[in-house]
Amino acid sequence: MVTGKRNLMKIPQHILLISFTVIFMYPIIWLFINSFKTKQELFQSPWTLPNSLNVENYIKAIVVGNIGRYFLNSIVITVSVVVITTLLSAMAAYGISRLRWKLSKFVLAVISLGIMIPAHATIVPLFSMFSKININNTYLAVIIPLVVFTLPIATLILTGFFSSIPREIEEAAIMDGCSIPTAFFKIIWPMTTPYLVTVAVITFIFAWNDMLFPQIFLSDPNMMTLPVGLNAFKGRYSTDYVGMIAAVVITIVPSIIIYSVLHRKIVEGMTAGAVKG
Amino acid sequence: MSPAVFVGLKNYANLLHDSIFLQSLKNNLFMVVGSLIAHLLLALLLSNILFNKLRGTKFYQSVYFLPCVICGAAIGLTWTFIYNSEFGMVNNILEILKLAQLKHQWLSDENTVMFAIIIVVMWQYVGYHIVIQLAAMRNIPTSLYEAAAIDGASKWRQFTSVTLPLIKPVLRVDAILIITGSLKYFDLVFVMTGGGPSHASEVLSTYMYYQGFRTLKYGYASAIGNILLFLCIVAICLSSAVFKSKKIEE
Repeated sequence: MVTGKRNLMKIPQHILLISFTVIFMYPIIWLFINSFKTKQELFQSPWTLPNSLNVENYIKAIVVGNIGRYFLNSIVITVSVVVITTLLSAMAAYGISRLRWKLSKFVLAVISLGIMIPAHATIVPLFSMFSKININNTYLAVIIPLVVFTLPIATLILTGFFSSIPREIEEAAIMDGCSIPTAFFKIIWPMTTPYLVTVAVITFIFAWNDMLFPQIFLSDPNMMTLPVGLNAFKGRYSTDYVGMIAAVVITIVPSIIIYSVLHRKIVEGMTAGAVKG
Repeated sequence: MSPAVFVGLKNYANLLHDSIFLQSLKNNLFMVVGSLIAHLLLALLLSNILFNKLRGTKFYQSVYFLPCVICGAAIGLTWTFIYNSEFGMVNNILEILKLAQLKHQWLSDENTVMFAIIIVVMWQYVGYHIVIQLAAMRNIPTSLYEAAAIDGASKWRQFTSVTLPLIKPVLRVDAILIITGSLKYFDLVFVMTGGGPSHASEVLSTYMYYQGFRTLKYGYASAIGNILLFLCIVAICLSSAVFKSKKIEE
């Protein structure tokens, strides 16, 4: 009897959870479905499946809307940021957690301070500096600030992870005459690969999704990244809804694919700072 | 850029008389309060249900988290379709429910635009807070719940007397994240309304963008940026003080 009553109690909870699942998933599914419709179909029957799987909207978004070019720019910028941030944060975390020197705690505190500073407060000074050295409208103008703003959290997460792995293997290697750089690349790097992947994916998500820096530093249409390009698309073809839907799908698919493969790592990485308190 | 001229605190003084700045400050505060209430309550409700070890908890958790890995610009654009007055889902649902008189141009009406935006903010980030709170709840030793159950504590009593006090430190961090996050929203607002209609949904970051890169007043925009930085620091200090709690011994 008791278990029967408990199962009954669970029904409203299940209903609530399922209705929230619908609320979270349906807009995304709706995008995929409607990206194959013509504009007339979208206006007449936004709820139904498309009549045919025509990819015309995608072709139009790529050819006319320049989404292909934006995609390429996004890839170049995101990959550079991921590589640089992962490498630098791993080195910094190694220095802070493994090497004993007076200021290591202080350096960690200074780096963590970076998490508190909103990127918006730095935009105008950065813009004036980048104008002076003439790198506005180059990939560099977005890569530099993105690396700077992803480094603090990456370093903090890796420092936590690095402190938890045993020192013995490294000590043995050093005894055998291994230098510190070799110890880092030959021992720490392979041992901490899972953690480095975590940091790399959350950096990817941050860089891929960021709109603030590219919106300000990249005004040349050929240099724009996807989020900025989407907004430009909206401005130029404001009534081409189906084309926009296709462009949105192209933008979100890489994040969704990476999320479905690595969701445990992403969730772990993105909440690591908060959960450890 | 024209050569810089030192103007003292003139930019800050001007801000105090700028009605659009005051409007965007008000909108930001609305976002902070709105997302604090909504995020904390909704996330607490859902994470508490998920904590009951129902079937499929992992699935729900990863579905709820999905929107926060998607880029804000794409989400903003998606929701402009949902709010669209001709084919949008919201108006369609109202029509099906025979509430056609409630149909609205949600994003171009000054009275509804901020509510429309805050719903999107919740849709995107509630999963993030669920995961944080759930992780905190799972760290609570089960023996405490067993002891409470033996003492005859109801489910609600267990929640208020065991769960809530023990996840308080994490709730504090969570509150800081929500506050600083809501001060910094840029892409959602920028894509959905661009601050419009007639600056009704302007927030500090979009107004800074407007002043700095549309009307090219860099100094003025810098002043807004500094106010934003200042507010973030104040928010962090304040919420540390409000949520300050003694360490609870296990």
